Amino acid sequence: MTKHFLLAARLLVRDWRAGELKVLLLALLIAVASVTSTGLFTQRINRGMNDQAGQFLGADLLLKSPQLTDQSVINYAQRAGLGITKSISFSSVIVAHDEFQLTHIKAVDQHYPLLSQIKISAQLYGDERPVNYGPAAGEVWLAPRLFSLLNLKIGDKIELGETELQVAAVLKHDPGQASSFVTIAPHLLMNIQDVAKTAVIQPGSRVTYLTGFAGELKARKQFEKWLAPRLSGSQRLVGGTEGSQAVNSAMDKAGQYLSLASMLSVMLSGIAIAMTANRYGQRHFDQAALMRCMGASQKTIIRIFSMQLFILGVIGSLLGCLAGYLTQQGLMILLKDLLVTELPGAGVYPLISGFVAGFVTLSGFSLPALLRLKSVSPLRVLRNDIAPLTISSWFVYGLAVCSMVVLMWWQSGQLKLTLLVLAGVMVSVTMLFILSLLLIYLSRLILPGLSGPWKTGLLQIVRNQKSNQLQMLAFGLSLMILMIIFLIRTDLIHRWQDQLPDKAPNHFVINIQNDEVKAVQQFFAEHGIATEGLYPMVRGRIVKINNKDILDVAEDKTKLDESLKRELNLSWSKQIQANNKLLEGQWWSAADDGKAVISIEKGLARRLQVDIGDDLAFRIADQHISATIKSIRSVQWDSFQPNFYIIFPENVINEFPLSYISSFYLEPAKKKTLNQLIKNFPTLTVLEIDVIMQQVKSIMSQVTTAVEYVMLFVLFAGMMVLVAAMQSGMDERMNAAVVMRTLGAKKAFLRRSQFAEFSLLGLFAGVLAVSGTEIIAYLLYSKVFELYFELHLSLWIYGPLLSVCLILIISGFYMNKVIKQSPVKALRYA
Amino acid sequence: MVISVNNLTKQVPALDSSSGTMLDILKGVNLEIKPAETIAIVGASGSGKSTLLGLLAGLDQASSGEVILAGQSLNKMDEDGRAALRGEKVGFVFQSFQLLAGLTALENVMLPLELQSKSSARDDAVALLTRVGLAERLQHYPKQLSGGEQQRVAIARAFVTAPTILFADEPTGNLDKVTSKNIIDLLFEMNREKKTTLVIVTHDENLAQKCERCLLLENGVLNND
Repeated sequence: MTKHFLLAARLLVRDWRAGELKVLLLALLIAVASVTSTGLFTQRINRGMNDQAGQFLGADLLLKSPQLTDQSVINYAQRAGLGITKSISFSSVIVAHDEFQLTHIKAVDQHYPLLSQIKISAQLYGDERPVNYGPAAGEVWLAPRLFSLLNLKIGDKIELGETELQVAAVLKHDPGQASSFVTIAPHLLMNIQDVAKTAVIQPGSRVTYLTGFAGELKARKQFEKWLAPRLSGSQRLVGGTEGSQAVNSAMDKAGQYLSLASMLSVMLSGIAIAMTANRYGQRHFDQAALMRCMGASQKTIIRIFSMQLFILGVIGSLLGCLAGYLTQQGLMILLKDLLVTELPGAGVYPLISGFVAGFVTLSGFSLPALLRLKSVSPLRVLRNDIAPLTISSWFVYGLAVCSMVVLMWWQSGQLKLTLLVLAGVMVSVTMLFILSLLLIYLSRLILPGLSGPWKTGLLQIVRNQKSNQLQMLAFGLSLMILMIIFLIRTDLIHRWQDQLPDKAPNHFVINIQNDEVKAVQQFFAEHGIATEGLYPMVRGRIVKINNKDILDVAEDKTKLDESLKRELNLSWSKQIQANNKLLEGQWWSAADDGKAVISIEKGLARRLQVDIGDDLAFRIADQHISATIKSIRSVQWDSFQPNFYIIFPENVINEFPLSYISSFYLEPAKKKTLNQLIKNFPTLTVLEIDVIMQQVKSIMSQVTTAVEYVMLFVLFAGMMVLVAAMQSGMDERMNAAVVMRTLGAKKAFLRRSQFAEFSLLGLFAGVLAVSGTEIIAYLLYSKVFELYFELHLSLWIYGPLLSVCLILIISGFYMNKVIKQSPVKALRYA
Repeated sequence: MVISVNNLTKQVPALDSSSGTMLDILKGVNLEIKPAETIAIVGASGSGKSTLLGLLAGLDQASSGEVILAGQSLNKMDEDGRAALRGEKVGFVFQSFQLLAGLTALENVMLPLELQSKSSARDDAVALLTRVGLAERLQHYPKQLSGGEQQRVAIARAFVTAPTILFADEPTGNLDKVTSKNIIDLLFEMNREKKTTLVIVTHDENLAQKCERCLLLENGVLNND
């Protein structure tokens, strides 16, 4: 075994020196570098996003429980090295100046917040300052609204249960606030040591015990894994990104895109590897025959070439991992100024994954070519025309397709996307093949009308139909993939920019009472604030599905959907909201006014397993109302506009206690207008999401860069296919050129005919690529990315033009050598 | 005997035949070759010379008849068995040299020894290349060598494993007259030095005349010239 290994290594070094392996190794390196760097980059962005989202929870993980958190959980977290903070959240009435106010209270310990900072100010409308501790014992910090509602000022005392606490600061921002988006009561922060003195928490009180954890990702994962099976039905562990639908939705698409781009670059590299390996195999038929003559058994031959493959795989994959790591690091340096926070480091998984991907790609795509070497007859040394047995195409393509599916699925974790891309590529290849036949047929028709170099060029294409068709397909396919990746990237980025324009709403205002609507609208108009409209909102809970109590419908009560455990915001509207899309059923007409029908968001419908025609019953303010699902909508959660799971027609729930919600954009310079708004309308709650918006924008910019950067890899991989395709037909072309020169063709004529041949080849490949692009883009846009599709007319001009230029550049590099050589020399070495 | 051939035939499907018609390339060839003997097989193009060589060297399988090479019947061996026998007992020189373009002269000569895992591969190859007059050309690639030099490398490679039998297929077919003479001389010198049996397929009368025996292959039948 060792002797064969050493021989394989020596032969490999000799092949490398002879220039046989460069394209193969480069293609492998690109595949691995693409997988590795994409993996590293997405992992770092994901981790960064989790960290940033953690800032909004005040911790990486938050355990919500109606009972005190078990000490064993605390002990385990401590042993895992996690930071821990305990707080209690409950609603209670506070009293000041004989006024009563229901308040959302959070009592925190000395470790709160583990992440991010609390923002307070010393005056009601004063400047805020960040602090990383909670109120001292005996003190409370109150939301601005409470000051207005209870006519309080700093230093006053409030009564909470059996104790009095001093108002020490205005609470401007509490990191935990974002997770309690549905909390409408104004917020109060107190010290956990004072809770017992208040005596407001009695057996049976509705209390949520919150335990926050923060620490290293590995420790968090370990803790989450340990805790998950121990959670009771009433406990919930909230992770970093939960609840941040806007971020998730954007990241989902970006993640899909990155997976797709990475998959395609691996696929392209695979094609390049297959083509170069095939050529490598063919060029080694003589060597294999000679080695058989010299006594090497079939087993020896296969062992030597497999070992070569193995060595090549190790070197290529290691270099690829290194290249992937370095480019990703380089990108981070370039992005330093762009990133809002420093991204956390990545783990080793992407490196391992890149390494394995290298091996799978190399084996899947080059093994068939190398296996043929085994069957080379030794008689080939006497008769050069004896080709080795061909291997079953089922085996060759089967192996390549299987390794591709495994790789793509593994890389993306998305079977649907994998199969869709694979099916798309297969359909495209078939379609491109048929189109190429058509183009060659047309060429035959126009040939008689041509003369000079164009005739010679086209004749070359028609005569070497098989090899030219292969090249056309390879060129066409790689160009098609490049175009698709470019198109989707452009559309995604535009979409994100459209979605988050400079003046996207960055504040929500809730709790606007019916009689305040006009005054609030007037306030906005006076201060030049454009709102996204005021939407009515009624709080209600789903209690029955198709007349069955939800507790009876759910097999496991502990696994009830979150939406069934809490009150939902219900709304009504005549028209469907601009950012909603009707998926099934019909939107209501004027005749439906007052009818008990609803439109439901598709995610909720899926989770509740309900469809058009099903009935949902709601409990709204102690009354029950039943309604039939008339339509299912998709909702663009990342639009930063008020969105609703359930919408009624007008005059169904209008009579219930309602409030209004709106969102609006406020310039940072106008931030003080908020104080005025709250002063004028003390019962309003303003949610400042400008920080979240900034986070989303920062993620978008990171992801956009990642998207552009992954495109580069696809481009490199595509170029490799072009080079490999060019190389694959090069021997034949060299021979033809040499014979023509020997027969008296002048250099200029040869140049012109080659220019004509490659221009035509490029044109054909370009037409094939654009046709394929339009079809695949249509499928991807409509089935995966949910983007609007329209024909890309400019592509029909630029695509073929680009194809011609690329092919002329690459072919020029190769053919120049032939043309410059003397015919005698060329004949000798051809 | 180093080689014994009994009633050897080779048939191949006729090119234009769709009904399974077979073409007879060799029709009952009988031949015996003694150790260290030099034999030339001559005949017109297409007479089956190279086919016979392929069968004698165990590169191909006969339709019927038997070939005994170095005491072992090739008929009873599978391809890997024949390969092992070739590695041990047989050397080849070809008309088109069959040097590997990516390997230097030295590496080409080392290859058969490396396949046998000989630790002295390098030294043996250097010695042989020096013997054929290419001591100064060890690191040259085939394309940097003339035709005659390439064939010298091929001869060095053929002798480096000290084979019992050397098969040469038109060894001067691609060379000019002067170079051919030098190559023929070298081949016979080596044959004498190493006591190797030499079986040459050739058109070259000069080369054929230098052999102890000359056999004519005509229409698949082997006759003494």
